[in-house]
Amino acid sequence: MNNILECQNLVKFYPGCLALNSVNLTVPKGRIVGLLGPNGSGKSTLIKLANGLITPTSGKILINGMKPGIETKKIVSYLPERTYLNDWMSVNNMIEFFSDFYDNFNMEKAYDMLKRLGVNPNQRLKTMSKGTKEKVQLILVMSREAELYLLDEPIGGVDPAARDYILDTIIGNYNENSTIIISTHLISDVEKILDEFIFINQGNVILTSTVDDIRENENKSVDALFREVFKC
Amino acid sequence: MPWKLKSDRPIYAQLIEHIQLFIVSGIYPAGSKLPSVRDLASEASVNPNTMQRALSQLESEGLLYSQRTSGRFVTEDVEKIMDTKNNLAKGLIREFIQNMNNLGYDIKQTVSLIENTAEEE
Amino acid sequence: MLKKLLKYEIKATGRIFLPMYALLIVLALINKFFYSVNVDYLAIPQILTMTAFVAIIVGIFLMTLVVTIQRFNKNLLTDEGYLSFTLPVQAHSHINCKMITTLMWLILSGIVSFISIFIMTINRETIDSFKNFFSLMGSALAIAGIDGYIIFFEVIFLCIFGLLSEILSIYAAITIGNMSSKHKLLAGIGSYLGMGLIEQFFATILITSYNGKIGTDFQLFGNYSAINQYRQAQTILLLLIVFVLVFGTAYYILTNWMLNNKLNLE
Repeated sequence: MNNILECQNLVKFYPGCLALNSVNLTVPKGRIVGLLGPNGSGKSTLIKLANGLITPTSGKILINGMKPGIETKKIVSYLPERTYLNDWMSVNNMIEFFSDFYDNFNMEKAYDMLKRLGVNPNQRLKTMSKGTKEKVQLILVMSREAELYLLDEPIGGVDPAARDYILDTIIGNYNENSTIIISTHLISDVEKILDEFIFINQGNVILTSTVDDIRENENKSVDALFREVFKC
Repeated sequence: MPWKLKSDRPIYAQLIEHIQLFIVSGIYPAGSKLPSVRDLASEASVNPNTMQRALSQLESEGLLYSQRTSGRFVTEDVEKIMDTKNNLAKGLIREFIQNMNNLGYDIKQTVSLIENTAEEE
Repeated sequence: MLKKLLKYEIKATGRIFLPMYALLIVLALINKFFYSVNVDYLAIPQILTMTAFVAIIVGIFLMTLVVTIQRFNKNLLTDEGYLSFTLPVQAHSHINCKMITTLMWLILSGIVSFISIFIMTINRETIDSFKNFFSLMGSALAIAGIDGYIIFFEVIFLCIFGLLSEILSIYAAITIGNMSSKHKLLAGIGSYLGMGLIEQFFATILITSYNGKIGTDFQLFGNYSAINQYRQAQTILLLLIVFVLVFGTAYYILTNWMLNNKLNLE
């Protein structure tokens, strides 16, 4: 099974909105992929489907050849755009929590990253700033040795220094058996670490390519191409 | 410290140039061991696959070689390195001449301008 | 997995209940102290602490309702839901976990309330009353024999399943309410009342069916012989248990189906 994610004629229909319009996609293992598109393009819908948070209207989505369920949740690590942590817990509690529910959670890695980012593990999440909470969330997600990481705007609310650290963490986490899918607006920041990218708009995949192919053939960055393609 | 990379040129090509520069300038001396792909990618803040592509190309050009278990090394062939250095220099010069031409100077004028400027230093 | 969920659920809710329990016991002891001292100048503080005591007991049970609703909603249907539903557990484990925890706190609240009242009012007379009460119960059951025990257990089952069914109807209502995008609270309350009406409807049908047999059975109850009285009571209790089980199961299935297929996290 070489493809970590596969969509076959995937359709998601909400009353009044066709979120995904028969999407066909394959994402191999060992890649860092950008999922790029404007708001409402279907990015979040695709990610929620991959997480098993919603079910397809028709068509299939497969994670490592399996339909979304308990087995896929074990190998998928998800960073949503919002903070989803239990407010009343401390960072230590959250680490224990993740450790309890996920066999592939690496506690050492988590504590190491917390130290590097200057987060106090004893602090309660309720008392943390939004930026710190987001760092904690990212650390928890990246400390899992998952096969598919789904990162929804991982560097959105963070300062530039932390941004670099986060991008480096993502690079450092790379291995040939896992894939990282990053959904983001901050394309120029993220472009250099991507293998390939997917342009999605109004529920359709418009373009997939590698970053270097675009630069070689079009002499522009993916960021520049995005602005062209999605001109308002 | 991430390497300076332009956004409209292929990344792997720029990585090749960077590494060539490190080699000819002696930062990675002849015969020395290169950091791992992952470490290099981290240093440059780029995707490891892209770094791998750059390194593979340098290998096929003969500037690098890999030993199965020990990793990647810079070639010990000093001539090869000199060749690369010369090629890089020629590239810079060609670009410079082109730029000077755009300003309106021909080759002779360019050369004498260079000599004059050097004397002032 | 359920055990792990329970561990964290109890931790999350214990923070609220345990301090209240502690406070209740403390107030019980204070009241007890005031009673035994019984001096004039302590009259006002005595009233205050007694009022506080009653308030806390009421508060504990109100809090159980609030916590039931709030835990389910917050942990599953708001931002925390992104975490809860990406854990490698089935939706029904979440339902089971919350349901069991709520039941547990309800029972504990009852026990702690009882103990605190006991502490407050314990003296030789009350101990004697208790002894009498228990021996009466004992002899009543002995006379009744197996039938008595059956009724006893039926009542307990009815209470437990009744509570669970009620909790599940609240969960179902919250989940239905969550599906509406703008008026979740109203939709939730509306569904709860709606489901209550449906239950009433079926209950009425049940009572007036068999040409009102059950209703008249109640009226004729006193005329029956002892054995028939037991049988009647057992049958009625059994019917009520079945009724409550059917609706409880329906709410469970409904909530589970919606969480699996109609989950709508913002």
